[in-house]
Amino acid sequence: MKSSLRFLLGIGLFLLIWEIWARWVMPGIILPDPVVVGRELARLLGDPVVYQAALQTLWKVLLALGLVLVLGVILGLLLGLSSSFYQMMRPIIMIIQAVPVVSWLSLVIFAWGIGWRGPIFIAFLSLLPMALLTTVSGVSNLDHKLLEMARVYQVPRRRVIKDIYLGSLIPFIVAIVDVSIGQSWKVILVAEYLCGNSGLGVEILSARYYVNIPKVYALTLLAVILGLITERLIKLWLGRISHKWQPA
Amino acid sequence: MAARVEIKLICKAYGRLKVIDDWNLAIEQGERMVVLGPSGAGKTTFLRMVAGLEQPDAGQIELSSRKTAFVFQEPRLIPWRNVRDNLRFVNSSADIPAILKQLRLEGFADYMPAQLSGGMQQRVNLARALIIEPDLLILDEAFTSLDLPFKLTLIQDLLEHWRQKRYTILMVTHDLKEALYMADRILVLSAAPARILHDFTVHLDEHRSFSDPELLRQESELLDLMTGKNK
Repeated sequence: MKSSLRFLLGIGLFLLIWEIWARWVMPGIILPDPVVVGRELARLLGDPVVYQAALQTLWKVLLALGLVLVLGVILGLLLGLSSSFYQMMRPIIMIIQAVPVVSWLSLVIFAWGIGWRGPIFIAFLSLLPMALLTTVSGVSNLDHKLLEMARVYQVPRRRVIKDIYLGSLIPFIVAIVDVSIGQSWKVILVAEYLCGNSGLGVEILSARYYVNIPKVYALTLLAVILGLITERLIKLWLGRISHKWQPA
Repeated sequence: MAARVEIKLICKAYGRLKVIDDWNLAIEQGERMVVLGPSGAGKTTFLRMVAGLEQPDAGQIELSSRKTAFVFQEPRLIPWRNVRDNLRFVNSSADIPAILKQLRLEGFADYMPAQLSGGMQQRVNLARALIIEPDLLILDEAFTSLDLPFKLTLIQDLLEHWRQKRYTILMVTHDLKEALYMADRILVLSAAPARILHDFTVHLDEHRSFSDPELLRQESELLDLMTGKNK
């Protein structure tokens, strides 16, 4: 009860700062006050086009996240198991990590034009190095005494991977999702804005085009709320799955 | 069938430090061999070499074992798996309730390792070894950290199991009484680089007691051998 009260107080404080900022620091068109944005958000919630856009963004976020998790963990596991493979792949991971999003954007527009594939590809590439490196560090943190025990008892490799490797990696997989989910929303929105043909990013672009500033903020607020809700739901689901691997 | 282990002139060094120097011996099928020696005499290294976890620098270890079980000094249980799944991990088709009963672990199948005391974890460690029906059982100071009553019941349970199956046992301990209670033969080692000082045959009944005067007499004989008083 107390913590939810504090949470609401935090939101209240944020709205107050926003109000002060909008009234005295940056008045007028650049930052509309929270009441105007709130009214616009309420209007948008009655508009089916916005729901469609939100769904378009949501599935891209989930697909990018799924791809990062599945490929990142599998590839990271292989990299972690073979140090020579890791040494060979490390420069490629570093290059992917260092290439600016703008360069990927240009590449994507050349390759596929404006569409849904670009945002997913860009989000995937931005998050993949982190997922790979986190998984590799998870594998290198494995308890070698457990592996030695499995070796003595001649446990089949598949069972060792399932029971020892996966169990040890669960906290690292949770960490990957933790970092990826927020990042994924942000990157998908930017990519939709720049090379997408649907989604909240495109809606923000069109609102900006018509200089409908309250709509830009209302859509941003909607994206933030949806981002927080998906983050919460995914963490709940992941918590249930990872519970099986809790030590006690 | 119980395993026979033949050690032929093995040597092992870590860098310049020689820990095992020219060991030559055979452990017969169904024999219970205990290795006694000072710290750093390569006892654990020897067990690890027999289990195939390390290789000797020279010499050979010939092993007729198909199923070797190793009871490590620390339990090495998978922390996120309960007792039942820890046992299933090494043998998915085993009769788990039977081994749990034999090692007084009934009712603990669903416990996670962290919910068990150190002694109970060591019981699970032993259960995991026995559930594969080994033909060679290796124990590396498996009972050292346990308090005496707990240690005694666990050793008795192990010996009860051994009487039914008669596998070969190779064990390392610091405890002379424990060695005499368990062994048919005791190897006494020198300090590093360890050599086999004595190959001591235990002349005691299979059913022994810690307070048996003959066991106590052999304990003092063994102590004399270890401290060089008999020379």
